[in-house]
Amino acid sequence: MLILESVDAHYGKSHVLHGVSIEVRAGEVVGLLGRNGVGKTTTLKAIMGMARRTGGRITFEGRDLQGVPPHGLARLGIAWVPEERRIFRLLTVLENLRTGLDRPGITPAHRDALLEKVYAYFPILKERRHQAGGTLSGGEQQMLAIARAMMLEPKIILLDEPTEGLMPRMVAQIQEIVHALHRDGVAILLVEQNVPLTLDAAGRVYIMEKGAVRHHASAVELRADPRVIHEYLGV
Amino acid sequence: MDQILVQTLHGLVNGMVLAMVASGLTLIFGIMDIVNFAHGDLLMLGAFVGASVVGVTGNYWLALLVAAVVIAILGALLQITTLRPLIGRDPLTTILATFGVSLVIQKYALWQWGPSVRRINEPVPGDFTLFHLQYPWYRIATAVLAGLIITGLWLFLKYGKYGIWIRATTQDRVMAQAMGIPVPLVYTGVFAIGSAMAAASGVLFGPFAGVTQTMGFDFTLRAFIVVVVGGMGNLAGSILASIFVSLLESYAAIVVSPAQAVIVSFVVLVLTMLFRPTGLFVPTPK
Repeated sequence: MLILESVDAHYGKSHVLHGVSIEVRAGEVVGLLGRNGVGKTTTLKAIMGMARRTGGRITFEGRDLQGVPPHGLARLGIAWVPEERRIFRLLTVLENLRTGLDRPGITPAHRDALLEKVYAYFPILKERRHQAGGTLSGGEQQMLAIARAMMLEPKIILLDEPTEGLMPRMVAQIQEIVHALHRDGVAILLVEQNVPLTLDAAGRVYIMEKGAVRHHASAVELRADPRVIHEYLGV
Repeated sequence: MDQILVQTLHGLVNGMVLAMVASGLTLIFGIMDIVNFAHGDLLMLGAFVGASVVGVTGNYWLALLVAAVVIAILGALLQITTLRPLIGRDPLTTILATFGVSLVIQKYALWQWGPSVRRINEPVPGDFTLFHLQYPWYRIATAVLAGLIITGLWLFLKYGKYGIWIRATTQDRVMAQAMGIPVPLVYTGVFAIGSAMAAASGVLFGPFAGVTQTMGFDFTLRAFIVVVVGGMGNLAGSILASIFVSLLESYAAIVVSPAQAVIVSFVVLVLTMLFRPTGLFVPTPK
């Protein structure tokens, strides 16, 4: 569904991605592991058209993403949950959700159903729906960022380090939601440093180092043989 | 005592018109980081369009509507042709571009309507007596109408679908795009709304002192002052600052001549820049 073919990307003059090739099939959870600064986030940004792509091809359902305007990706079915969460801080929780809900061709009943669905996943968001996004705790903001992405009813969610800096209880909840999304048939490209969580949630895993994919294996293999993980991630 | 009451009323009325001008300017600045130096000239152009419509139809309210719509369309076209290509460039480029647009509009108005003052007749006749003074009802009506329009804008921004798009884009353009919000369209829309607000203010202000092709710069300057004093891009701050500065000017006019009273706003501007550069009416940033 989402295919990156030897993608190169630059930030200013520095060459960040070197021929990254990744594939995510429909409904699949794919992990992207690696240490800090190896280009995981940049890979997601390249998909979102935010990093300057200098080579290679990115296609979504057979369509080249080059030339698709940044706001067109959401309509194609690609949602992004950035590492910094990027909650609209002065908008209320409900208004944050509405940024993804108020799209053409959505019926009021469908909107309400979608809202109820995320409120069922994240009851705290319903409780805080009239509170400004900036006043939420880090974990709640992460939930809001994921819930906001879900409003788009995406085919794939690019999930960037969702558990970073969260308490174990919150991590478990995020893990739960990744499973739930997977059951709903949403594909996920999961960028993480949390190895156990990634191996649990993902079917396949790519490991990056220095801006390139060094290893690709199923999560089952990696669980059985942790030496690769140890080699690239030192854990 | 009665003089203070009269000047309070005067300041409030002027403040409401200024607030309308400033809210358009601050909305544009907040979302696009553009100081639109042509804002006052769009106001002037709106006033001329309004005067022409009143001249032909005699209907002031129709003139207000037509001016707002015509200038909104013009504003949208200006944004698409002049400012959209400059997005992401040095802010100085856009400032110069809007300055250039300002000059073009002024010269067009001079060519089209000549240098003389055009009158717009007061749509609401009659005065009422306030102590020793005959105060025209029209000014009160203007302040109320300006208040209603600003409230309308606020409700639109707060509850409307497009209002949420505008606020989301103001806060985080990149994330707004990722959520599927067509940001270039939002920019154009905001510029059109700001232009319409300016044009409507021009028609509202028209009966006060007449319409001339040089009135724009004065409004740009005054609106710019209150936008800075209120905190750049902060709508509520700009509105409060408009009323605050206008009241101060009114009170100052009791002791000095009205022409000198204008100095007060510059003093407020300088003091704000010195001691509260983020604006008077915003919470101190942490």
